Amino acid sequence: MKKLLTIMFVLLLTVSFAWAKGDQEVSDTESTGVVATEWEIPFLNCLTGPIASIGEYLQWGAEYAAEQINAAGGISGVPVKIVRVDTGMSPEKGTVEMSKLVADALVVMGPVPEPVIMAAVPIAVDEGLYSFTATTSFEYAAEYFPWAISWFSPTDEKLPPIVTAWAEKVEAKKVVQFVENYGAWPGMARAHVIGLEKAGVTVLEDVEVPTDAVSLGPLIVKALAQNPDAIVFSCNAEKVAKIIIELKNRGWEDMNKMLVFSSADDAALYTTGGDKINGVMIYNYNDPNLDTDRWNDFRQAFKDDHEGIEPFSLSPNYYDAVYMIKRAIEETGVTGDPKKLAEERILIRDFCNDVKNFEGLQYDWSNKGGYPADKPLFLFEIQGGEKVLIAKIIPE
Amino acid sequence: MEVLIAQIFNGLSLGSIYVLLVTGFNLLLLVAMIIHFSFPVVVVFSMYVSWAVMTATGMVPLGILAGILSAIAVNVVTAPMFQHIMKKRGSVDINATMVISMGMGMIITDILSHTFNQGFPIAFPDALTGNDKGALISTRLISISRGQVLTLIIGVIFVLFLFWLLYKTRAGRAFRAIAEDPNGAKLVGIPLLKTGLQSYALTGILGGVTAVLMAVLLGSASAGLGDQLGHKVLAVSIIAGLGNLKGGLIIGLLLGVLEAVIQGYLAGSWSNAIAFIIMLIVILAKPKGVFGSSL
Amino acid sequence: MSLPLYYFLAIAAIYILMSWSIYIPYRVGQLHFMTVANMAISAYFAALMAINFSWPFWLVLIAGTLLGALIGFLVSLAIGDAPCFAVVIVGFTFIYLTKTIIENVEAFGGPLGIFSIPKVMQTSSSNRVFLLITAYALVLLTGYLIKRFDRSRLGRAASAIFIDRDLAVSFGVDVKKMGMFLQSWASAVGGMSGVLYAFIMQSISPNHFTFHIVGICMTMLFVGGYSTIWGALLAAPILWGFPLILPEVLQSWNIVIYGVLLIVVLVIKPEGIITRPMIKKLESILLRKKKLV
Repeated sequence: MKKLLTIMFVLLLTVSFAWAKGDQEVSDTESTGVVATEWEIPFLNCLTGPIASIGEYLQWGAEYAAEQINAAGGISGVPVKIVRVDTGMSPEKGTVEMSKLVADALVVMGPVPEPVIMAAVPIAVDEGLYSFTATTSFEYAAEYFPWAISWFSPTDEKLPPIVTAWAEKVEAKKVVQFVENYGAWPGMARAHVIGLEKAGVTVLEDVEVPTDAVSLGPLIVKALAQNPDAIVFSCNAEKVAKIIIELKNRGWEDMNKMLVFSSADDAALYTTGGDKINGVMIYNYNDPNLDTDRWNDFRQAFKDDHEGIEPFSLSPNYYDAVYMIKRAIEETGVTGDPKKLAEERILIRDFCNDVKNFEGLQYDWSNKGGYPADKPLFLFEIQGGEKVLIAKIIPE
Repeated sequence: MEVLIAQIFNGLSLGSIYVLLVTGFNLLLLVAMIIHFSFPVVVVFSMYVSWAVMTATGMVPLGILAGILSAIAVNVVTAPMFQHIMKKRGSVDINATMVISMGMGMIITDILSHTFNQGFPIAFPDALTGNDKGALISTRLISISRGQVLTLIIGVIFVLFLFWLLYKTRAGRAFRAIAEDPNGAKLVGIPLLKTGLQSYALTGILGGVTAVLMAVLLGSASAGLGDQLGHKVLAVSIIAGLGNLKGGLIIGLLLGVLEAVIQGYLAGSWSNAIAFIIMLIVILAKPKGVFGSSL
Repeated sequence: MSLPLYYFLAIAAIYILMSWSIYIPYRVGQLHFMTVANMAISAYFAALMAINFSWPFWLVLIAGTLLGALIGFLVSLAIGDAPCFAVVIVGFTFIYLTKTIIENVEAFGGPLGIFSIPKVMQTSSSNRVFLLITAYALVLLTGYLIKRFDRSRLGRAASAIFIDRDLAVSFGVDVKKMGMFLQSWASAVGGMSGVLYAFIMQSISPNHFTFHIVGICMTMLFVGGYSTIWGALLAAPILWGFPLILPEVLQSWNIVIYGVLLIVVLVIKPEGIITRPMIKKLESILLRKKKLV
């Protein structure tokens, strides 16, 4: 039996080395200008499992951008194709999928879920491949700079001003915050506190929200017992909606005096909350009611393809990513020649990390060392499932 | 003081959910010898069915009926699977039923997480939850809703009713006899199939009613809800003593209050860990349960 | 070597070890899910030691394994002879507890997790070759030890406990000692897998070690067959591998497929696909061939 095991082991290794050899083919085309016949951009996305619908919206954005670009003549005259790659929520699957791409891809978009980013991006970094992690918090992407890009600036730089603006607007005096200990959320909660203190607000003791809380009554009593006059929510969307409903049942009237953070701005907030969250304030990075031709066109196309559902707040991110890749390729003269792969990957990386005046779907921005320096934040009031713009803040 | 009272009421309301689920779990154990670890998942499934019918037809009573019927259906349909396993008792132990139940839980949770409502949480209409009517009793901190009172009362009634049914009636004795010794029961003339199906249907009804009450009490549900409850329900049942209905009632309520007090006074993010540690200590001190096993 | 294959094989090794860590105590009928907590604890231990104190890989591996064994042993003092369900609850408790502690202690990386766990070797490719060989050497070693155990007098005693505990006791088998031994061993294997996992994945977070691992490894063990080591050895790579090649439409149903497989196998073949008589038969055929040659 021992021998059998040894034989199996040796066999496995032999097979793996044989496979490895097969990979190392290099084409020998002479390089003059663009040699690629199609730009293939893989998008590691979460297309299956619990958050598949969100992944699908992101995918739609990327593919819509590619469609537009191709209709207008492609990138450097060559069409672009977004390659669907599914990682689900599984870090293990993410490693395998990313490792399939590192040999040939010019650049990758994604991954989307944080555990998958943590598992897969190190592989790309190792092989000198640049990842567009365009939906995650700064803190995750920053670990892999300069080989990953963030769509957001550091949490404690960007969030305080918008929270200050809210607190001053609703004249909050004593604020309690619901905080869930998940991913980057505690960091966001700390940034909220900076903003609140700047507005001269008394910040009461946090109410910690257990990730798998079934009933929220005890947390609500803990919050109300401190006599707050305003509330900030840094927890999961469904729980935010449930807490607000319960507070309303208990007679909370001033809905403006509740602020929801951007990570809870997803469908679960509106499906669970319905009309009962009318009047609640929320901040985020995009304005759904922006009135520009480009945005209106995107919004209409999204609605047409999704039975009238509005694009959600992260919808533009991978649309913009595709356009940023286009600009990088065109302005740095990337050829797509496999022989120059390593240097062209770096060209794209360095261009995007410090891109100036990039024309995003909603607004222009510039990057500084891998993250945006001047992206605006928007404060909204929720009315009938829609977000009505109250204020726009551009950090200095 | 007002805070403490408020938290105790909150705890009792959470506890009454545990009580209903533990009772269903214990019932399956008593009448079918199944460790139905994923019973709470089946209940959450019925919540989803109920929601789907309510949203599609706009009729709340129809939704309630659908929820209860779906729970009965799931129970009766999966019964042969469990019975098949139990026939081989001797070579296969009771653990196998738990593993099968875990498999069932994986399937149901995954289906809920990406079919109904695109995987987003579901919310029940006010006509069911009574949220628009406001609370029954309400001070600054204490708030008691109709749903909370209803759930607690029905929970207690169910436990008492089942206790009477199982231990004081002929039918109940037949249920238990089959679970303990199918061959012996057959010898004394108990119709195996009919009685077996009756007992599964009974658990189904309990599951369905629990689903409706949870919808009233929580107002919404998400796919992971069943798993979150499943771990605690198993723990409560073990602490009370497997199959012990009265024990389940007391321990279920106690766990609810314990959690509410931890969340209210200590750090909320520790509440699960603390609750489980306390339960662990009790299990280690009393491996057969505080009130003794009724198996 | 080819990167995707490396990741496939390396993670398959972890799944094999984790499924075995559930197999070991199940020899006496205990579902000891605490090994998943051991995996998390030792993975964090490995990451912190390697990053903060630059401990070499071998030291981390040995210490992480011993840490698993130690925790397993201490807990087994209380639950060595506990009934299956109590053991299950102990497992759940430790999984919750570990996750909560990691999330709440900033020094452990908090809810964000730990990034950039160092490589064992200088270059990426030598690192990979090294880790893969180490992982399979450990699979081989663990498999060999389990095989030795299964064939020993102790292994037969464990089987006796599984089939009829009371009878085993009356024949003088010490149920508690046996349970303690198997639980500590399983926790050691869980800890070892955790160290490997940390070095292979290079980053870890609390969400990597939760109940989904319990579900996956349980499926691997029970579908493959819980009465021999070959079940998990065969089922782990297949069950982990096939979702990678499924078409996208079916991939959404990955977990459903696992669940259905688990139920179907348990109903049709309660002992799993590979059973002990099957292995015996295979062995005798192989032995006969050898003799003929």
